[in-house]
Amino acid sequence: MSCDPVTLEIIRGAIRAAQAEMEALLERTAISAFIREKKDFYTALFDAEGVMAVGSNVPIFGDICGPVFEHFPIETIREGDLYWYSDCYGSRGAVSHSNDQVFLAPVFHDGRRCAFVMGWAHFSDVGGLRPGSISPDATDIFQEGIIIPPTRLIDAGRTNDAALAIFFRNSRQPDACRGDTAALMASVALGVCRMAEIAARFGPDTLEDALRQLLARTETLVRRRLRETFPVGTYRFTDSIDGDGHGSGPLHIRFALTRTPDDRFIFDASETDDQAAGPVNFIMNRDVPGMALGLYFLGGDSAEICNAGGPRSLDEVILREGSLLQPRFPAPLGMRGLTMMRVLAALNGLINAAGGAAPAAHSAYVITLLRGTAGGKPFLMSDGIGVGYGARPDADGIDAVYFVAQENYPVEFLEMGYPVQLTTYAIHRDSGGAGLWRGGCGIVRDYVILAEEAVLAVRIDGVTNPPWGAAGGLPAGSGRAVVNLGRPDERLLKPLSDGNRLRAGDTLRIQTGGGGGLGDPHARPAASVARDVADGFVSPEAALRDYGVALLPNGDVDEAATAIGRGVRQAA
Amino acid sequence: MSGSLSIAIDIGGTFTDVTLQDPRTGRAWRAKTPSIPSDPSQAFITGIGLALEAAGASPGAIGRILHGTTVATNLILEGKGARTALVTTAGFRHVLEIGRQDIPRRSNLYAWRKPARPVPPSRVLEVVERIASGGAVQIALDEDSVREAAAACRTLDVAAVAVCLLHSFANPVHEHRVVEMLRELLPGVVVTASVDVLPVAREYERTLATVLNAAVMPAVSSYVARLAQRAEAAGITAPLLLMQSNGGVAGVAAISRAPAVTALSGPAAGVIGARAVAAACGIVDFITVDVGGTSADICLIKDGTIGLTQNGRVGEWPLPLPMVDMVTVGAGGGSIARVEAGALGVGPASAGAVPGPACYGRGGIAPTVTDAHVVLGHLPPSLLGGTMQLDPAGAATAIADHVAAPLGLDLHTAARGILAIADNNMVGAIRVVSVERGHDPRSFALVPFGGAGPLHGCALAEILGITTVLIPPAPGVLCAEGLLAADLKAEWSRTLPTAGVVSADESSAILLALHAEATAWLEAEAVPSADRSTEEVALLRYAGQGGELAVPWGGSIEAAQAGFVAAHQAQYGFALKAAVELVTLRVEATGALPDAVMPSLSPGDLPEPVRTLPVHFAGGTVDTPLYERTALPASARLAGPAILLQLDATTLIPPGWHAEVHRSAAIILRRLGETT
Repeated sequence: MSCDPVTLEIIRGAIRAAQAEMEALLERTAISAFIREKKDFYTALFDAEGVMAVGSNVPIFGDICGPVFEHFPIETIREGDLYWYSDCYGSRGAVSHSNDQVFLAPVFHDGRRCAFVMGWAHFSDVGGLRPGSISPDATDIFQEGIIIPPTRLIDAGRTNDAALAIFFRNSRQPDACRGDTAALMASVALGVCRMAEIAARFGPDTLEDALRQLLARTETLVRRRLRETFPVGTYRFTDSIDGDGHGSGPLHIRFALTRTPDDRFIFDASETDDQAAGPVNFIMNRDVPGMALGLYFLGGDSAEICNAGGPRSLDEVILREGSLLQPRFPAPLGMRGLTMMRVLAALNGLINAAGGAAPAAHSAYVITLLRGTAGGKPFLMSDGIGVGYGARPDADGIDAVYFVAQENYPVEFLEMGYPVQLTTYAIHRDSGGAGLWRGGCGIVRDYVILAEEAVLAVRIDGVTNPPWGAAGGLPAGSGRAVVNLGRPDERLLKPLSDGNRLRAGDTLRIQTGGGGGLGDPHARPAASVARDVADGFVSPEAALRDYGVALLPNGDVDEAATAIGRGVRQAA
Repeated sequence: MSGSLSIAIDIGGTFTDVTLQDPRTGRAWRAKTPSIPSDPSQAFITGIGLALEAAGASPGAIGRILHGTTVATNLILEGKGARTALVTTAGFRHVLEIGRQDIPRRSNLYAWRKPARPVPPSRVLEVVERIASGGAVQIALDEDSVREAAAACRTLDVAAVAVCLLHSFANPVHEHRVVEMLRELLPGVVVTASVDVLPVAREYERTLATVLNAAVMPAVSSYVARLAQRAEAAGITAPLLLMQSNGGVAGVAAISRAPAVTALSGPAAGVIGARAVAAACGIVDFITVDVGGTSADICLIKDGTIGLTQNGRVGEWPLPLPMVDMVTVGAGGGSIARVEAGALGVGPASAGAVPGPACYGRGGIAPTVTDAHVVLGHLPPSLLGGTMQLDPAGAATAIADHVAAPLGLDLHTAARGILAIADNNMVGAIRVVSVERGHDPRSFALVPFGGAGPLHGCALAEILGITTVLIPPAPGVLCAEGLLAADLKAEWSRTLPTAGVVSADESSAILLALHAEATAWLEAEAVPSADRSTEEVALLRYAGQGGELAVPWGGSIEAAQAGFVAAHQAQYGFALKAAVELVTLRVEATGALPDAVMPSLSPGDLPEPVRTLPVHFAGGTVDTPLYERTALPASARLAGPAILLQLDATTLIPPGWHAEVHRSAAIILRRLGETT
């Protein structure tokens, strides 16, 4: 039975509302700060065959359901079942580090399977080498915590409590783990209930057709925009991450996209460098490039849905086993976030290589893990810090954000919960690449350590290879981590390192990188540059050096000097 | 000595509605006068005069003036507040710019733009000081840095200053001193402290609330002062009470200190009015849908209790002040329908009042929800008692060209599609307020109001499985009912330095202090002791959770914990074997204002319809009778399809529903075949 355009829109709205409900429940009831304050969780909805029909606006999801069906054939899946996994290799990168737990449940109507519902969240500790489970020191995935292979956690209503008990016993934070699991399970149960109502209200045939149309709509739109962007031929872009923290680097990501004369799109990442010893390997699920390109091509239209239509618009994805993006088991993966973020930048580069209008590159979001003891009790603080995003052909890059949906730990929250005090939380001036459109700026976060002792892991990328500018825009500024800045015992930390010992009274400065600029900086209106200086995004020196804009002592544009500044550079 | 009459003034974009009521008899006199945007106080006093004249009463007979103002709301939504500076702790100048460091969950990272903050960093000034977590002074306030900030404020030529220092909610000593100094150094500039607006943790949200408060303060203060002046000049000595976002009213002094508490006062007044209407019909569990021109506000009331939230938003901004817990969706009469890539969407873009829907004939060409109603015959060709003629041909053209043709549908199917999508948007929000909180909407009545609400009520109810719909006597001006029904309300909270358990001594000391503050306020508002009531509330969570649930304190920590576990199970479907922490104790104070006696219609038979018009329902076109709503007597019954006409709203009763006029003049609609 076909679903008319009106019903389609209604079903889309109902599914979005169900997603919002699932997320609200999770946010309100989860225990760990990672989920309820930082909000590292997502939901999605799949059709009866497990194809993602309504995802989130996060372009890192692969084929979520496939790994479950391999272990539990789809025809054996029953009403009341719940499936669970965190197995990166076993899911070919559907999850890409072991902290991420996926819960998946089928939706039935009158005995007929009509959908699947997913809840996903990052659990703050699942065992492994160091508290927080992800460490730059890891050299294999077994050091990154317990691995949950695809598991039937609830079998037609009966819960496998032993599996949960084993999982909780392997965490350093069993209470948080237990609470987060209960919250995630309640959220998925709510989603199942809501989807069953939708199936009952419209009929499973109409729902099936609606989901099919949502997929087709995205696929058609993405394919059309791919054709508009990429003339027949092969386009290449190479980018790199600084290294793996274990001595190798830079590590190159090499992408090629070919459009054949018969309109097939072939994405090839096989030229990418070999896998690394350190945990920067990223199992790029073969759906990820299409998902990210899809999200870019969908743009800001809230009526469009990010789903498997993106991946389906690519006819072939070529990966090479043993490469950074398709490592062999059991290579470590915990710090894959920096590679993943650079993969997104490299996809922008690929679009621009074909003459498209994607943003300049962004920095990879920064994470620090501080563990130690305070007042005789162990603590774990995983602090995510925002960066600058790349300038766009019609707008500046976004300043000081982490990623989609994920929030910071407010200063007051952090100080009430952890043995640190912050002395600065501000914009990292001059970290945004100059351009007609300025790249977004990163952040400066200064901590004073109050714990008796602590060990710090830090993850900063883009130091030796800062995010690139586009169309004449300058590259972004880099991040760094410094202990005891300005004191005799000042020391610069390796940007990707663990085991950094800190004592009470030490200060720690984390600066994060920005996004690349876009277009000629001298074409940026001088008044915009003056405003950036007044607001602390650009220094007066950089205004003159990069933008050719001279300012008067009161902050206004010195028109005469600016004319000379801009003229000189054009003449040179 | 003032009299006993209550007068409520609701200033809308087009008209100012005034209701004068004698609470002893329930008798009411209504007046309507054009709003004067350049000086709303003029329409305010003109309207009062008209109502007094209608009642033949003197200004001295007025006992209280009740007013809901959208001045703060509009300033915030339009970003037109006073030029404001922010004073913050050194090192944290970019607190607003950074915000929560996120790209919103529903946004596309390639396209999203961060909204411009109400105060740019160039107007943020840092003072040297530091209060540590828990409240200890770690770096004493450097008063020279405050003087420098004051000098900078002068250079920046600001009209208002917000002061928000880190951890001030735990120890306000620095914040108070900075405010004191700035008031002295900056005469004529409004200065507001975060602890007076929102004394809770999380610096971004508190700073934002303080900044918004500062930005609206000059305009709200002078507005309120002008109203008071006008009233005094007219010989009215009664106190002026203003509606707050929490659904209670408060006096001018309290509002002037924290005008941001009025940001959602309009929608709150409507919900209070709906509760009064429902109560008169003996209904205590219901969901309200206030459908306006651009949006619909939805609220759930269980056992007659209106929930409050501190997770509210106004436009782009989180504003965690206590406000009636409601959800807003961009679906209203003016919402525009469009077809893109073969898909039909409705809203959130709106035609607004200008140019308005195509059927208004004011130059609007985009098809709207109102146009769909006109095309289907739900709305007769004249509105507002004949004062406004509609253009059905214009509506039909708009829908034919922009929806029917691109989708290959006939005109009526296209119009029904537009309504179905608008309804669905509202239904999604109704589910958020009901099911998400553990309530089954089918056990609730639906109370639609606002100009467009009664056109959608039955359709929404059918989708939700709701069998009772209650149409208020004057659905378009329910805010005035709300003002007349509201009580004085305020609350005082104390957040524990460390969440956990408290000893009986600690809790009674805290509650004693909160009760003292509440009593002082009740004194200041001159509430007679018989009309005072207070309630002790505890906010608890499982150790580690980020959000709290509010439950009655119940006299002990054990009672509160037990209440929490039950509430968690009920709302979220599970309980944990984990420690339950007390986070905040709160005392809510109410000063009851006299309840009006409800007027009672005399019973009678159904009059003849004023006329009959064809209406295009999904099941076919039916000649449908139109009734004058005010001519319907109590106990009159009629079966759908029917349309009820009145000055402020039009009610659509589809086939399958039957209506009964309640003696309070409300209309109760039930699905045929349902038990009554």
